[in-house]
Amino acid sequence: MNLLESLRISWRSIRGHKLRSTLTTLGVIIGIAAVITFVTLGTGLQDEIIGDISPDDQQNVYVWAASPEDSGQGPLAGAQPVFTQRDASEVANLSGVDDAYVYTRVPGQSVTYAGDTVPRDSGFIGTGPGYFDAEDFAEGGPFERGTTQAVINPAMAGLFDENVSVGDTLTLGIYQGVQIDVTVTGILENSDSMSAFEGFGPSPRLYVPADLTENTETQTELLNLSEEELSELLGDSDVANRTNLSGAAGGLLGGSAPGESSRHIAMVVEAPSKSDADIERAKSETKAYLTSAESDASDRSEGLAFQLKTSAELISQLEDVLDLLQDFIVGIAGISLLVGSIGIANIMLVSVTERTREIGIMKAVGAQRRDILELFIVEAVILGVLGAILGTALGLLAGYAVAGYIGIPWVFPVGWTALAIAVGIAVGVLAGLYPAWNASRTDPIDALRYE
Amino acid sequence: MATERRSAAVSLSGVGKTYRLGEPVHALDGVSLEIPTSSYTAVMGPSGSGKSTLMNLVGCLDTPTEGSVTIDGKDVTTVSDRERTRIRGEDIGFVFQTFNLMPRLTARENVALPMVFRGVDRSKRRQRAAEALDSVGLGDRLDHHPNELSGGQRQRVAIARALVNDPALLLADEPTGNLDTETGEQIMGLFEELYEQGNTILMVTHERPIAEHAERIVHLLDGEIERVEELSEVGR
Repeated sequence: MNLLESLRISWRSIRGHKLRSTLTTLGVIIGIAAVITFVTLGTGLQDEIIGDISPDDQQNVYVWAASPEDSGQGPLAGAQPVFTQRDASEVANLSGVDDAYVYTRVPGQSVTYAGDTVPRDSGFIGTGPGYFDAEDFAEGGPFERGTTQAVINPAMAGLFDENVSVGDTLTLGIYQGVQIDVTVTGILENSDSMSAFEGFGPSPRLYVPADLTENTETQTELLNLSEEELSELLGDSDVANRTNLSGAAGGLLGGSAPGESSRHIAMVVEAPSKSDADIERAKSETKAYLTSAESDASDRSEGLAFQLKTSAELISQLEDVLDLLQDFIVGIAGISLLVGSIGIANIMLVSVTERTREIGIMKAVGAQRRDILELFIVEAVILGVLGAILGTALGLLAGYAVAGYIGIPWVFPVGWTALAIAVGIAVGVLAGLYPAWNASRTDPIDALRYE
Repeated sequence: MATERRSAAVSLSGVGKTYRLGEPVHALDGVSLEIPTSSYTAVMGPSGSGKSTLMNLVGCLDTPTEGSVTIDGKDVTTVSDRERTRIRGEDIGFVFQTFNLMPRLTARENVALPMVFRGVDRSKRRQRAAEALDSVGLGDRLDHHPNELSGGQRQRVAIARALVNDPALLLADEPTGNLDTETGEQIMGLFEELYEQGNTILMVTHERPIAEHAERIVHLLDGEIERVEELSEVGR
């Protein structure tokens, strides 16, 4: 008997029990749809978070200090402000290090350009000029240390009605009453994340020198504030002593105690190349410097552990978490698939019993064991594949709808779709195997007598 | 159809069948019988006499515990299950008391079913099935399902199915058992036509008037052949 014939006969018996077949298939549909939906969403989420890593990011080592229990939790988890500008310069001078610069979050509230103010509650990114490469820029170039300059990305520029170009002045709202004018020195090529610290994926960003709040112009502005404004800004701090003020204000803005140069939460160290050896060397030299008494960071890092991670490590950490979550959900969906296949097996067993007489007739007129085996397996496989196809369609649709609803990119999981179909076939074969084998072993004499 | 008249279509020699369900039961014991080609034989006997066992053995549905069964010159007692199944499909046509049609298949598809397992292609199957149905007088019922047919018509479909592979032996088990007398007579008339066309028929029945349609009657009792009755005149 050829396969086409088996398909025809099996399809007919499936159609002969429409309700039963539908309910049986439903188990597989739900299982497959659940897997596809969650995989689609998981992949979309991963894409959203990770975006694309620029190749020159691969030679960077990200450094921060956090208490040991926060380790292994993604970039900047529990990071404390310990690094000074001097630390970065010292690290940059190490023989195994190409460049190093601090990374900090400059608090902020708004950006104004040409009378157009946009809120920026998440603040700005404070770093060093080495953070950028020449090819990152669509226009202009990096800012210089110790200046009131800024670099913006296209998404940031797009927030304003007017076109921003290099040389224009933006007004950053840092705190109530405190505003700093910065000159745009460069506009980036794209809005993707420049490093693992920024989070992943494109979003509007504004970069300033990490020491923006330490420079004289800013402090002059702070010093020009009235006593009342200052006490409001600094709370209970002693503002009577104006000599201490620059430190106090700087500390407020840079996160350090009064009287000290500001401290930053992180540092980016560039290895000379992305080779493992170079990265390891840069890591170990940086760590040796930071833990030595020589560094500024060491006297603030008691009870903290330095975290030195490459972007690949950071991403893989994130991916591990996402993968775990996805595995968990897919596992649950897999269980529902298992239940679905038990449903098929069950219905096939019932079907074999119910059709004992038909099996007897077929055997009497010359059906071989393998013909009967084939008929029942094909029937189970049709149910499985039907379930897989409908389940995949439903899962893709649900994934698309939910991705659209929560605003993450929709990714078509080609591999998973193929896998779902394969699983459908496998479920059909496995669930159909025992009942079909049972059927093929039916004794025609008993079967013909069966009522 | 059958070519050499009076050569043996089926021969049994010393056939015994013992069921071991606790106490051994000898369903058949040393039965030897020749069924010549183009003959019409009826097997009679009370229940428990071994009629069904004989049917199953001749029909290749079962194997004897002793002796041998030869069909169309082939010893079927020693062959594999696979080969027995093939012989069943190609050399034997079954007609059952309960018709045993596939309920979801049409008359034509039911008749074509044995050819499906022989790998005959679809258009040929459809054509031959239609011819077979036509020959039993159901040429106008090709696409009816069994539940749309009367008992007599169903048995005709079953007979068409039994004949469609041009078997060496037509094996009928109480073919009129589920039919009223008049319809039963019509079916017997059809058997007679088939016999006259040269088909070999072996029929099991417990009704004397039905058995009398045959050329001879083999009487079974307690698993042994009691006597073979030759009927001078066929049927009626």
